[in-house]
Amino acid sequence: MFNQIESWQIQSKEGLMNQLHIDLPLMIAVLLASTVSAIAIFSASNSSEAFLTSHLIRIGLSILAMILAAQFSPLFYSRISPWLYAICLILLIAVFFFGETRNNATRWIDIGISFQPSELLKIAMPLVVARYIASGSIPLNNTNIVVSLVLVLLPTALIFKQPDLGTSVLIAFSGLVIIFLSGIKKRYLFSAIILFLGCLPFIWKTIHPFQQQRVLTFLDPEKDPLGAGYHIIQSKIAIGSGGLFGKGWLNGTQGQLDFLPERTTDFIFSILAEEFGLIGVLFVISIYLFIVGRGLLIAINSDDLFSRLAASSISLTFFIYVFVNIGMTTGLLPVVGVPLPLISKGGTSSLTLMASLGILMSLHTHKRLIPK
Amino acid sequence: MDNFKTRQAQLAERSVFLNRILFSSLAILLLGGLIISRLIYLMVIESDELSLRSVNNTLRTQSIPAPRGLIFDRNIEVIAENKPKFQLEMVPEQVNKLESSLMYLTELGILDENEISAIEQRVRRNYQFKSIVIKRDLNEREMAIFANNRMLLKGFDIKSRLTRNYPQNEIYAHVVGYMGSISSSDYERFDPVFYTGKEQIGKSAIEREYEHILRGVPGKRKLLVNVRGRVMDEIEKEAFTSGNDIILTLNSELQRTAYESMAEKKGSVVAMDPRNGEILAMISMPSFNPTAISLGLSQSDLDKLNRDKKKPLFNRATAGQYPPGSTVKPMLALGALDMGIVDSEYYLPCEGEFKLPNYSRPFRDWATHGSVNAKRAIQASCDVYFYETAVEMGIERMSTFLKKFNLGEKTKLDLGNEKKGVVPNQEWKRNNFKSKENQNWYLGETVIAGIGQGYMLATPMQLAYATSIIANRGFAFKPHILKQINLKDSDKVLKTESERINHVMNIDDKYWDIVFDGMNAVVNEQRGTAYGVFPENSDIAGKTGTSQVFSMDKRSGDDVPEELRDHGLFIGFAPINNPEIVIAVLVENGGGGRVAAAPVAEKMFSKFLEIRGKKVVQSN
Repeated sequence: MFNQIESWQIQSKEGLMNQLHIDLPLMIAVLLASTVSAIAIFSASNSSEAFLTSHLIRIGLSILAMILAAQFSPLFYSRISPWLYAICLILLIAVFFFGETRNNATRWIDIGISFQPSELLKIAMPLVVARYIASGSIPLNNTNIVVSLVLVLLPTALIFKQPDLGTSVLIAFSGLVIIFLSGIKKRYLFSAIILFLGCLPFIWKTIHPFQQQRVLTFLDPEKDPLGAGYHIIQSKIAIGSGGLFGKGWLNGTQGQLDFLPERTTDFIFSILAEEFGLIGVLFVISIYLFIVGRGLLIAINSDDLFSRLAASSISLTFFIYVFVNIGMTTGLLPVVGVPLPLISKGGTSSLTLMASLGILMSLHTHKRLIPK
Repeated sequence: MDNFKTRQAQLAERSVFLNRILFSSLAILLLGGLIISRLIYLMVIESDELSLRSVNNTLRTQSIPAPRGLIFDRNIEVIAENKPKFQLEMVPEQVNKLESSLMYLTELGILDENEISAIEQRVRRNYQFKSIVIKRDLNEREMAIFANNRMLLKGFDIKSRLTRNYPQNEIYAHVVGYMGSISSSDYERFDPVFYTGKEQIGKSAIEREYEHILRGVPGKRKLLVNVRGRVMDEIEKEAFTSGNDIILTLNSELQRTAYESMAEKKGSVVAMDPRNGEILAMISMPSFNPTAISLGLSQSDLDKLNRDKKKPLFNRATAGQYPPGSTVKPMLALGALDMGIVDSEYYLPCEGEFKLPNYSRPFRDWATHGSVNAKRAIQASCDVYFYETAVEMGIERMSTFLKKFNLGEKTKLDLGNEKKGVVPNQEWKRNNFKSKENQNWYLGETVIAGIGQGYMLATPMQLAYATSIIANRGFAFKPHILKQINLKDSDKVLKTESERINHVMNIDDKYWDIVFDGMNAVVNEQRGTAYGVFPENSDIAGKTGTSQVFSMDKRSGDDVPEELRDHGLFIGFAPINNPEIVIAVLVENGGGGRVAAAPVAEKMFSKFLEIRGKKVVQSN
């Protein structure tokens, strides 16, 4: 009798989650991260309730977007991916010619609302490359490799020219990682790496002076402590002064007294480190590792190649987001303007990220609907 | 499409994929490990250093200036005090409409219209949360007008600042000194810690000499500031310790009398108590207003003071060096008696001039005195008697004896800026002249040294001190102006101890009697050079002096231009037995000692007797 009740409860719970196509572990991790986000944003905005309210609304909308994204089947994503990709490409070209320029960067286009096509590409890229490769077989042959590379590098180049180094690197990664996962030969891999290193001086010349400055500052931030090095120095001071247990919520002087710049967006990790210490940030990192691990598990357990590749690309790109952001705030990497996933305040970027987690859920919960 | 893949192909795909996922997982662990070790490095190993930098970012220490100690005269009359000055200040970010607010202030008559643009410019250059001074030193009317319109002037406020005020104005100027902005040389004298947040430091005289006692210890406030320097919170407050009050030996009644009797004159008056070395009065004329200087004079007013030919900033009492003239005669008479050159019955016939062999021109006396002995020579200030005595004594013995009266040495008065005068002798001449010819000592120079002329120089302070040695018959007390310090932190009182110094000892009392008789006769007997200036039978001993500024000019009387007229001097003490006051007066270019200086001394003595009389009545 007890067993019956228990199984009924479990079934009904699982049933509800299944009907909504929600992956419970992922959902719990996302909610945890969102709670951390609300706590951090409240502190970073100097206890502004209005700021927190609008942030909570954005989180709510993003979670809705995630749940909505989970409702469509992987087949649907596989089918629409070329179209989505094509639209992104057209919009990117349109941006290149008619885009809005803000802060010396041309990233926006006005189609009723102001919008960054590169954000949409964050979803389209892993889907379209996964679809293209899954339509053939792996290991890849040379033609497949070349076509995949073109698929990846064409929009990457357009975004790179905007200029938006951070986004172009992440988008390129989300495509290239699929080629890697598809079993590209090791010698190709090595020659690609050597080619890339060989091209570095050329890339150095093509990037903007402000981007060069960021890299130089990263190499020696103390050289210009009030100018270019200011962000990195203040962020390191915030993180280091947090110590093991932090200064306590709302007690971080670096954040509360405005020494830390961009602290609701790119440098929110420094707020967490200052106020909650090493213990606090290890907790946050473990949430991220859990999400990445769950994503990779979903990929491994997928029955078809498209799902596998798309899921692992989404998970690994998510990890790279986290790595680049924390690396940047701790001074391991140059400042490239990548927000901390699920925690930084962000409009479209958090929306697309949540949507891609929704797709991850879809890949997991719709398994049986895909014909073998 | 997947449907068409063979089972085998699917398995192969899967194994390649798993292989790569395994590799990726290792990469994730590696990169995750990298980040965690970086965090441990920053948050554990570097944590202390970065915490320190975070504290330095946000903490500012602000100092709270301590009020300066007050200065009183011996009867606790205020000489220097701190007075709040009111100034109109504005915090730009709190002001609603800057332009209209400033216009409104001009309508109220507080601000001048042509100052507006300068203020607006300063507002633009300043932090918006930092207070800006709109107008300094508001008067009561302006403060009342502002108070009535305060509601309409949001962001404006009246702030007070302590400034030094000297209620007696010019009267104490050279003794008490004044305040001024702190310069880098001041920081060499004192630890800057005491001056954080302060604008001024004692620049001269007592204010400078007792700076370390008057200044107090500033308090501290630890403030939490944000990135733009705005104060967010006060974390810690350490109260200041006020400066110690000091009481001077000066007597305001005597000081005022000296000032009033020297009005319109140049010169100096020093009065001192021979029983303990306390300076009772000290003035230098012309004077200046120390309050105005401490408030900060305009550059043109300051230049005017510095360029003034009458040198109002110069303290003639301690730094003005003048030929002492006949005031040295009592000392030389004492020396001659003691050395056996003359005795009390030795009479010398004065015919109005003194001749030296090989000198074509005689040394003239200012009058023909007839037959004079030591007492009469002092009384009538006979030059010939002292010409003769000087030649007999010789310059070496003369300078040695005069130096016993501390002439040629600083009195070490606690006021600073003191000159030591000159008592010339052969060695002095060798050291102070360049050409060989001028280094020789001539007998004629010994002759005029006998009447305090030639190279001999003394300050009024030195003359007062020498007179106190005479008054005490050989000893004196170290002169001082500081009487007592009232310590602020312990309620204790530090009193200056009188320090007796022996100067001219082992001289027979009968010689002293002769000198005292002579000085008494100066005041009280016919033919005395100051006879008639003082009331009949005053219990006062004195000596006049006239020092020549320019002897080649043959004009006399009113024909002589003022700056070439003689300096008048007077030294004296009273009562004659057990003296309680010593006075030295110098009037620059005032004519002779009798005309210019003795009347000033008379006013001082009668004031002293009046004060003394009042005390006697009170104690009865």
